[in-house]
Amino acid sequence: MLDIRGISKRFGTRTVLSDVSFTVRPGEVFGFVGSNGAGKTTTMRIVLGVLAADSGEVRWKDAPIDADVRRRIGYMPEERGLYPKMKVEDHLQYLARLHGLGPGEARSSTRHWTERLGIASRLGDEVQKLSLGNQQRVQLAAALVHDPEVLVLDEPFSGLDPTAVEVMSKVLRDKADGGIPTVFSSHQLDLVERLCDRIGIIADGRMVAVGTVEELRDRDHGVVLVVEGPPAGWADALPGVQVVAAAGTRTTVRLLGADDQQVLAAALAAGPVHEFRRHRPPLTEVYRDVVSAAAPERAR
Amino acid sequence: MSAPLSSVEAIRLVAKREFVTQVRSRSFVIGLIVTIVLFGVVGAISAFIAGQQSTSTLGVTPGASALAPALEATARTQDLTLEIRDVAEAAGRSALAADELDGLLVADPGGRYTLLGRDAVDERLAAVVGTAVRQTELTEALRAAGTDPDALEARSTVAEETLEPVDPDRGQRLALAIVGTVLLFISLSGYGQLVATGVVEEKQSRVVELLLATIKPWELLAGKIIGLGAVGLLNLVVLGGIAAIAGISFGLLTLPGAALGMFAMVLVWYLLGFFLFASLYAAIGSTVSRQEELNSVVAPMIFLLLIPFILTVNLLPGDPRNPLATVLSYIPFFSQTVMPARYALGTAELWEVGIAALLALVAIVVVVRLAGRVYRNSVLRTGARVSLREALGRAA
Repeated sequence: MLDIRGISKRFGTRTVLSDVSFTVRPGEVFGFVGSNGAGKTTTMRIVLGVLAADSGEVRWKDAPIDADVRRRIGYMPEERGLYPKMKVEDHLQYLARLHGLGPGEARSSTRHWTERLGIASRLGDEVQKLSLGNQQRVQLAAALVHDPEVLVLDEPFSGLDPTAVEVMSKVLRDKADGGIPTVFSSHQLDLVERLCDRIGIIADGRMVAVGTVEELRDRDHGVVLVVEGPPAGWADALPGVQVVAAAGTRTTVRLLGADDQQVLAAALAAGPVHEFRRHRPPLTEVYRDVVSAAAPERAR
Repeated sequence: MSAPLSSVEAIRLVAKREFVTQVRSRSFVIGLIVTIVLFGVVGAISAFIAGQQSTSTLGVTPGASALAPALEATARTQDLTLEIRDVAEAAGRSALAADELDGLLVADPGGRYTLLGRDAVDERLAAVVGTAVRQTELTEALRAAGTDPDALEARSTVAEETLEPVDPDRGQRLALAIVGTVLLFISLSGYGQLVATGVVEEKQSRVVELLLATIKPWELLAGKIIGLGAVGLLNLVVLGGIAAIAGISFGLLTLPGAALGMFAMVLVWYLLGFFLFASLYAAIGSTVSRQEELNSVVAPMIFLLLIPFILTVNLLPGDPRNPLATVLSYIPFFSQTVMPARYALGTAELWEVGIAALLALVAIVVVVRLAGRVYRNSVLRTGARVSLREALGRAA
């Protein structure tokens, strides 16, 4: 289990991270979301030891993380970077060797991942000759080539075409299913929602929410029901219920103490019910609400 | 499955990459060829100039032909190969105009001599002719006054002796010193610059973050310096070897022992100088984010290398025991250039070289630590140039 405990970081007088904590369990894909400048990249850099935290610690398998463990992390930095003039094969083998693989393992692993990611035909080309999308695939191969025990990927999906997004999602899922804790950051919330087991939302250097998408939804929205059928007005006086929206024959209510059966009974009493369902707001909406709910707290 | 990687192994991998990438690059091969061609051209030009100056042809009119023995004797003492041609004045003038003669000595009936040149009078010729005429006139005057010119000559000569035997190979030693100094300057500035460029390349392409997630900054820095230093060493060995073979086969170099000694000295001082300067180059390179910004910040480094080079080629050839040069040959940042030149000239003992090398090693330890700190603090920071105060501060 990758355990980030109470990390704080200041750059000069500016606090970038304050008391950030979350855990990523084996076999879990953890989505790390937040606006630009919220602290995602800084957190990941601290996990990799590229930056030092002012306080707090990063633990792996119940021990503080050290250089040897870090070498077994697969990392994709936000600032993509490879030697432009190095050949793809030489480059990946070099990185594999730096991560401690022997020459033979480095060669076979390079073959394996370039095939898996669809760039095997470009092994002999200089990195700079590849399209941006393909360079991105090489970058992912660079994170995977040493068979890492943990994956930390900063914006792995940015700049990818839909096919590459599919390939990459599949790779991440497979890696996680193989028991590897995987954490990635992204602004593509639909993708995060689809791919992640749990998500963490960071705003202004603080973790404002951590949990499954379901948990976050319930925490901030409560249960919201959509009822289609009886004309508006039937729910206005119902106890334990807040009417969120009512237009024509569609009424949206939030449960504040009442249970869904009471609501259904009240609706049926008012007229025929054609649709009765739970409203599940997309992650985008949940994210927006979580972040704005945290704002006054931060302003204090 | 990945295994723990020792620092030695990490440095070896980085150094190997730097070495292979550099040696395979077109610029390395072209650079080597250009340097060899440059050496050849300089050699050919100096050989040509030396050949030009060796013989002077002087026309002498019948009135002045009595001076010929005195002219020949004087030319010998002044190291000038003189060919004397007896010509009539008119024929001599046209030969001079056609560049067949370097000068024409004319005697008028009054016994006065004139040395004619085409558009300028050859200085060396003028010196020989002037001395010969003066000598001849003086001898005649002395005879007329009843004094024996030979006895006067013997009494008025000052004998020259030295406490230590005169080094007959001084010229060759000087050439070795100059060639060694130039090679050192080219290698240190060229490969130092390459280290700075390499650091900025990693920073600009952002690959450095990926590398530093795996290995420590000092390992990356050490690997880079060792790898590029090895390329510079290879370059030096090739160039020095070619220079030595060419020197011996053209008969310019008859001191293979001294040449070998100097070669070894150049290699040792290259390494000492390289670690010193390359770590500075790396530290400076790490404070900027783009190649375009690099030139302005490394400019002071060129001066740091140029000053000892200029001092060496100006002070030592005329005065191998120059006290300023002797002092500077012990001081790090100067010693890598001055000390090998002093050694080549035979004015520095091995123990002196040893002390200077030891002082250089101490300087390397200090500079590498400081440079490592600057590098660690700057290499991940992009954007504005990192100030020296921030770079030298405690770890970020």
